Formats: sequence, C-alpha cells, structure tokens
Amino acid sequence: MTATPMTAPTAPVMQAESLTRHYGVSQGFMKPKVTVKALVDVSFTLTAGQTLAVVGESGCGKSTLARQLTLIEPPTGGRLQVGDEWVTPGDRAQYKRLRSQVQMVFQNPYASLNPRQKIGHQIGEPLLLNTTLSAAERKDKVLASLKRVGLRPEHYDRYAHMFSGGQRQRIAIARAMVLQPKILVADEPTSALDVSIQAQVLNLFMDLQEQLQTAYVFVSHNLAVVEHIANDVMVMYLGRVVEAGPKATIFANALHPYTQALLSATPSIDPAQRQKKIKIHGELPSPLNPPTGCAFHKRCPKADARCESELPLLRPLEGRQVACHHV
Amino acid sequence: MSLLDIQNLRVEFGAKGRAFRAVDGLDLQLDQGQVLGIVGESGSGKSVAMMAVMGLLAGQGQVSADRLRFDGKDLQTISDRQRRKLLGKDMAMIFQDPMTSLNPSFTVGFQIEEVLREHMGLRGAAARARAIELLQMVEIPGAAHRLESYPHQFSGGMAQRVMIAMAIACNPKLLIADEPTTALDVTIQAQIMELLVQLQRAHNMALILITHDLAVVAEVAQRVAVMYAGQEVEQGAVERLFTAPAHPYTHALLSSVPEHSRGARRLHTLPGIVPGQFDRPTGCLLSPRCPKAQDRCHIERPELLEQGDGLVRCFFPMTAQETL
Repeated sequence: MTATPMTAPTAPVMQAESLTRHYGVSQGFMKPKVTVKALVDVSFTLTAGQTLAVVGESGCGKSTLARQLTLIEPPTGGRLQVGDEWVTPGDRAQYKRLRSQVQMVFQNPYASLNPRQKIGHQIGEPLLLNTTLSAAERKDKVLASLKRVGLRPEHYDRYAHMFSGGQRQRIAIARAMVLQPKILVADEPTSALDVSIQAQVLNLFMDLQEQLQTAYVFVSHNLAVVEHIANDVMVMYLGRVVEAGPKATIFANALHPYTQALLSATPSIDPAQRQKKIKIHGELPSPLNPPTGCAFHKRCPKADARCESELPLLRPLEGRQVACHHV
Repeated sequence: MSLLDIQNLRVEFGAKGRAFRAVDGLDLQLDQGQVLGIVGESGSGKSVAMMAVMGLLAGQGQVSADRLRFDGKDLQTISDRQRRKLLGKDMAMIFQDPMTSLNPSFTVGFQIEEVLREHMGLRGAAARARAIELLQMVEIPGAAHRLESYPHQFSGGMAQRVMIAMAIACNPKLLIADEPTTALDVTIQAQIMELLVQLQRAHNMALILITHDLAVVAEVAQRVAVMYAGQEVEQGAVERLFTAPAHPYTHALLSSVPEHSRGARRLHTLPGIVPGQFDRPTGCLLSPRCPKAQDRCHIERPELLEQGDGLVRCFFPMTAQETL
C-alpha cells in the first residue's frame, strides 16, 4: 500500500520553542513551596514520517515533555506548534481540536486499557468524541484500525484481560491511530514487553509510519530500540537537553559525557560491540535541589571548577546540538 | 561434585489430574565461583524454578526432581528446620523490585542485623559493625548513618544495594538474583551489575542470574540456560550460544534483538506468543511457532540431550550454515 504524505515532507508537523514546565511542590504545612524545573528550554522540530526519540533516565523530564506535547497540561514557558497552529494557552476549543492530532500510547498496556469496556468500544471512543460519524461508520473505522494493527474482527467484542501484553499494546496503538493523528507520542511503549514481542510491536510502529506518514515522538530509555527506530535523538538530563541531533551522528560519535556514559552502560550481546564501561558514579540528583552549574557535573568524569558554577548552553557542533564546556 | 545439582526439575500447580506444569524439565549444574544466566520470556518458568530450588513454593506448588542437591544436601528431603538454616546463609536470593522486598516498617539497619542475628549469632555492637561494613561493601555513601533510614528514604538503585548487602551478609555459597536490575535505569543497572560481579569474584560465590535481558547475560555469565514455556530448551557456554545457537527458539530470540537488525527497517520476529496453560501443543512446545518444524515435531516431544558443550531439546537443531 502506498500512501501519499499529507504534507510536504519538509513541513514541520510539530515545533517546540523553549518549552518549559515548572511545578510548585509543597514541602509541608507552613513551609514555602519549592519550584521543580521539570522541563527547561526544550526545542525541536518534527516533520511528517519522522521519529524523534527522547532518551534519558527516570526523572529527566521525558514524561513531562510527553504531557506538554499531548496538551494534557499547558507549559509554563515557551510555545508549541501543532500542525500549522501555535497553541494558545487556555484556549479550550483549540486544545480540543488539536488534541485529536496528537495521540498517545502509554508504557503499560495493562493499565492504559479499561478492563470493563469492550475493546471495540475503547478504540471507537476517540471517534465518538471527535467526529460526527454514525455508529455504523465508527464500527467500520474501528474494524479497519484493528486490522491495521494485526488483530481480527472477532476481537471487537472482547475485553482487555483476554489479550496478551503484546496484543494489548496493539489495541492501545489502534486506539491512538484511529483518528489518524499527525503525531503519535509513545511513552516507553515496549519496555513492559518481552524481547520477541517487542520486535513485533516495533515492526508494527514502523509499518504504520510508512503507511500513514505519522510523526513519532518516541520516549525510551532503551538505546538499542532507539537506534533502530529513530531519525533524530534528543538526550535529556534533569529537565534539559544535553545533546540532540541525527541518530547516525550521535550513535557514531557521542560528544556529551552523559550520552557517552549512557551508550557505554547499555549492555550489548555482541562482544565486538562491547566497549569499556565509562564509570559514572552516583545517581540522578533530586530535581528539588539541583546542582549549580551543569546538572551533570557531580557524576561527570570530565567536570572541573567551571562546570560547578556555569551552566553550559546548547550550541551547534559537528552536526548536532550539545551542552558541555568540554567539547 | 557440583555445588548445585539439578536433574529434571518439575513444578506443578493445582490439583492432581488437572495440574499445570509450570516447570517441566530443568537440568543445571553449577560450581563454586560460576555465573549462570537463565533467560526466557515472561511465563517461561525461570523464576518459579528458582523459587522451587529455594523451597519458597511450600503449600503452593508440588516440586519434584530426579535430583535436587545443594552443597551435598538433598533439598527434597531436608527438614524445614534445616532449610531455614540454609536460606539466607548459604543460599540467598535477591528479587526484582527492592521496594516490595524490603519491609517498609523497619529501618534497613534492623533488617540487615536481623539476618546477622539469626545466622551468625551477632548481636549489639558486633552486628552493627558488620552491618556498616556490608553497606560499605555495596558502596552506599554514609553507611553508618544510613542504617537508621527506612526503605522509602532510598532510591531504587540504593534499595537494591541494601538487598544485595542483606543477601551477602553471611557469605553465601550461592546467590540467586531474579531480574535484579529490571526496575532500574540503565546507568544504575550498569553500576549494580558491576557490583554483583565484583562481589561474586571477591567471595567466589556461585551466581544464578535470572533475566529476560539477553545483553546482561551476555556480558556477565559464563553459561546460559534458555527456557521456553517451562522447559529448558538449550544450555551452553555464553560465547557459543550467543554466536551459534543450536535451538531454533534461542536463534529466534537472539535475532529479535534490535542489535541484530542494524540497518534493516524491520526486526526479525517469531510469530505468535508463548502457549498458555490450556493451549500447549501435543508435540514440541515450540512447534506451532517454529520455522523448522516437521511432522515429527507436532507429534513427539523432544528430550533434553547433550550436544557439544551443552544441552539441546530439539529434533532438528540449527546447523552451522544457519548462524546469526
């Protein structure tokens, strides 16, 4: 099946400019609130049919970013473009309209499906809310969507518990794709799955993208998966982008010490690919009390006095963006 | 004689007659100082098999084996009293999720000292000193004052370090680690694996690593056992098994790793899913999904037989031309 792209391949379907999200966190009764900078100055451009992978460990702001992109909550700074419209904070009608273009697949398909609803109904719900199609038309669309993700029409009347983990993730994908969104945000969609099932689901993602030219924002901590699926990679640490660029550039020659550490920490089944591990000490610092200067300096093998005091800014270098004083 | 010697281990759940066999034929031999990986997908029986070895299935499952010996003792016939002396001392286990394995109501110091009191008879200052030493061994900063902390005050990686400290408190001969890094981030995973291997070497422990992450096993283990639907389908030395797997399932599992499809748009997949309790095929359990299945595979169940450096359960193992 050959599909023509809806937009010219160069036109962005999503654009973020200095997207920032702060949360006020209560420290207890009568104590002042503390601000957690969960997401700071994240910018990117996404074009149709492309995949942007967001990489980082827990607490790095990946999921906060996903919440901004899917318009679940408004950013506290910066702006976001979906399709050709800039998002106006607080414009509910616009939110409702744009949300149907940005859909989401969650990590755990055991939790993201309703156990009490037939899956046909769940997949059809976005159509019920966002379109004026009749019941019969909706059912046709749902059946087509089931078929597209490799499920059968008789699955329409079944409940979520009757499916395996891989099939449930297919259902979640069918639900996200039923409105034919321009952008799909997938938050760790295969990390709850076994490796052979993961391969099936990743193939499904790739096939759907080829057919429908959907742009993906693929949040993952698994660099082997990212290397397979992404066009662009964005590495985040404590709410900030530390390195971003085309996948091939970053995997061939990572410049930021954190990216290098991530790559070397990822175990490999191929002895030839195995590198000497870069040892990084300690854990992600608390976002409540982030270190001064570069957020990574306490764990970084290259850190010096300048890293402790001065925040490195993203700058272009060798075909990618990188935020480090030492490259 | 091997430290751990398992021959044809079987575990069944449910009433006789309609029992479900969760583990059906596992052979393992493990010596002091060896690292063995057990890999398999969810539901393949890898955790249940090791729970059976530890004797943690009492009252739930029926465990039987042709031979089940640890350190010269027959684990099938020892009394509960003897088993309690063994568990946590010579044989210890760490689990996947440290947060649910630690008791939230007691300080970690109390929980570590409890092990030392039960098995080593250490009390008071001696127990405290050893607990501090253990926390230092697992590289927890500020060990002395961290003993007063409760589990919720630790991060996931630090809590897993506490679990490891408890497990190695009595210098066990065998440590079973069930998915020890699955709940952790990749840089923390690397730290914990390095710590485990370093402790394993320092104490000359035998280590069994249960995991679904093939790459972790490839980096750490000397031997690997592959399980599918309760059966051990292949066992062998790591270098051989990862480059020239003999069983079609091992082959399929390894080829579905994204690393093996560099540059390709699609990943290799094994169609279908692991059979459940009620849909197990009559012949070889892999036969409905196996690309090499013949008529014989659909009727007869293959035995686990010795081949080369290991064991294989297949009528038509992969040939030298079919390497990855």
